Amino acid sequence: MAPLKTGRRAFLAGMIAATLPRASWADVGAPAFLAAAKAGTEYELHGLSATGDSLFALPLPARGHAAAAHPTRAEAVAFARRPGTYALVITCLTGRISHRLTPPEGRQFNGHGAYSADGALLMTSEVIADGSAGRIGLWETETYTRVNEWQTGGIGPHDLKLRPDGRLIVANGGIQTDPSDRSKLNLDTMRPNLALLSTTGEIDEIAELPKDLWPNSIRHLALIGNQIAFAMQWEGDRSEDVPQLGLWQPGQPARLCPTDPIDALTMKGYAGSIASADGLLALTSAPGGALALFTTDGTPITLHRSPDLSGVAAGPGGLVATDGTGTIWAVNRDGLRPLARHPVAWDNHLIALRA
Amino acid sequence: MPHPFPKPKAPMPRIRLALCLTLIAAPAWADYPETLRDHILPGYAAFAAATADLAAAAQADCTAEALRPAYHAAFDAWQGVAHLRLGPVEEDGRDRIIAYWPDPKGLGQTQQDALLSGDPAALEPAAFAKASIAARGLFGMERLLYPVAPTVPPCALIRATATDLARIAAVVDAEWQIGYADAMLTPGATPDAPFQTGPDVRQALFTQLAFGLEKLADQQLGRPLGQPSLPHPDRAQALASGRSLRNVLLSLQAMRAMVETLTPDAPQTIAAFDRAITLAEKLEDPIFAGVATPSGRLKVEILQQAIQRTREIVGDELARELDTDISLNAGDGD
Repeated sequence: MAPLKTGRRAFLAGMIAATLPRASWADVGAPAFLAAAKAGTEYELHGLSATGDSLFALPLPARGHAAAAHPTRAEAVAFARRPGTYALVITCLTGRISHRLTPPEGRQFNGHGAYSADGALLMTSEVIADGSAGRIGLWETETYTRVNEWQTGGIGPHDLKLRPDGRLIVANGGIQTDPSDRSKLNLDTMRPNLALLSTTGEIDEIAELPKDLWPNSIRHLALIGNQIAFAMQWEGDRSEDVPQLGLWQPGQPARLCPTDPIDALTMKGYAGSIASADGLLALTSAPGGALALFTTDGTPITLHRSPDLSGVAAGPGGLVATDGTGTIWAVNRDGLRPLARHPVAWDNHLIALRA
Repeated sequence: MPHPFPKPKAPMPRIRLALCLTLIAAPAWADYPETLRDHILPGYAAFAAATADLAAAAQADCTAEALRPAYHAAFDAWQGVAHLRLGPVEEDGRDRIIAYWPDPKGLGQTQQDALLSGDPAALEPAAFAKASIAARGLFGMERLLYPVAPTVPPCALIRATATDLARIAAVVDAEWQIGYADAMLTPGATPDAPFQTGPDVRQALFTQLAFGLEKLADQQLGRPLGQPSLPHPDRAQALASGRSLRNVLLSLQAMRAMVETLTPDAPQTIAAFDRAITLAEKLEDPIFAGVATPSGRLKVEILQQAIQRTREIVGDELARELDTDISLNAGDGD
């Protein structure tokens, strides 16, 4: 009898959950952004307004990397730092962790994820722990059950973005990592790429860098319509000045967009986050304490400085950046304007919610 | 170039002076205003003075033998501030112009050759200020004063390089005095000021020490060490002028002095610096040539480990003492 009872109880619980109206983003203050933060020795996930007010702060059990926001329900997935063994689905109204996603045996989450436009599917960037071959995990979002997985066409995938046409872009960073400690194992032979996956997971197209730039790990993405802007992190000799920005229109080769030579030195070969709004493209470099601005065709405009800048995203009022000192900045051609400051250190990424 | 800039102000706030008078027995005050007053501003002033001397010496006599003492004095002065990579020295890539290293593709030599065989007008100060950064600065000067093969000294390029270096050093010194020092002393004076709070300043200065130590261990020792099976003594910094070890030693001494201005209470940090400094002083291998032999390599590795250990203690004790930590993102992005 006991198993039946348990099953029946679970069934009833499921029925109740399915019939309860789920909170929408409006119910939690209509945040424009999500951001992970370190507050003292604790870790949090914040919902931020367009002007940088914190609308909610929910505890995270460990340092987060990025998050993904469900398009309609006030539900976020927080990803552990790479290589991650869990991702947490958080009900933002209550802060309750509704689901704890665990990748299948031998797989590890790799920091980023994205919901399908209708919110029915969550896609997660993953690696096979042994060898770092890339996979996309697919999860249906009613019960967060894993339903499928795809190959990414490369090693060490990191960021991923869904294009308006429903196809998925994956940044295969090219770096093979030790499954236990993030050590990079293949810097001499790495070969990153961008993969365009069809709505059913076939690899439609792959873009690669010229061979002398293979140590330039493609890590983060921003979409400008169906065009892809990608940000890179140089793993080669630190004294070389290499581009941090590239643009890819599938069907054509990827195009590299060098930073102004003097500003390139400031970026220290490192672009941490990338976002586009109002005809501008922004790349952050926390090691350089800088944000480089380009036009959306990849022409360098200027460089703004502030320590530990890392998150950047497109909000309703334009580009917004976050840093490790707790400041939230409005970004435009003329400079950085502080919007708000909080007693936290904003972590790597700022995630825009779809308007 | 005229220097219509004021002398450094004593940046000690009045209230603090009163405290010192009343609390005679209290330990010496040390915090970022003291770092600015006793470490940063004198460091850049000394570098500006030493490079001005080098430029003047180059005008008087451009032979290598005559200039080498002034070159070493200028390089010594740079080591007093080489760990500071914030503020004016970062503008327009000045830190990279002053010390373009490493240069694995030999861009500096290539660019200098192009300048020597090109239009002499490119050596005029205004034009030279736009020349390739790889061709300029202390390492450009080193190639000219310690040529691979004996040559007639290229006086015009030597003078242009020295003048350009002195100009950059003077600009950095002046910009610290007339703007950045105030920004550091009065954090949050304007909403877009580079520092918004005192803790921001401490964090920035702490980061200089942490990254400075990492650079010594990873680059200045790590590059010549290479892999055990493939050492690279040829990659030692300032090899031609024999300064590889001296640069490490002076940098360690400068960072130790900086710690003392930041806090009177970091005994483990000071002890770790002292151990690394003693090892560097006793190492009889000025250009790390020993990395190619097992016993010589071991000695350089022991110094590298002492510097890495100092970095760990800085991240632990000094971070606690300053109530700061390595920047969340700069220290560990993804």
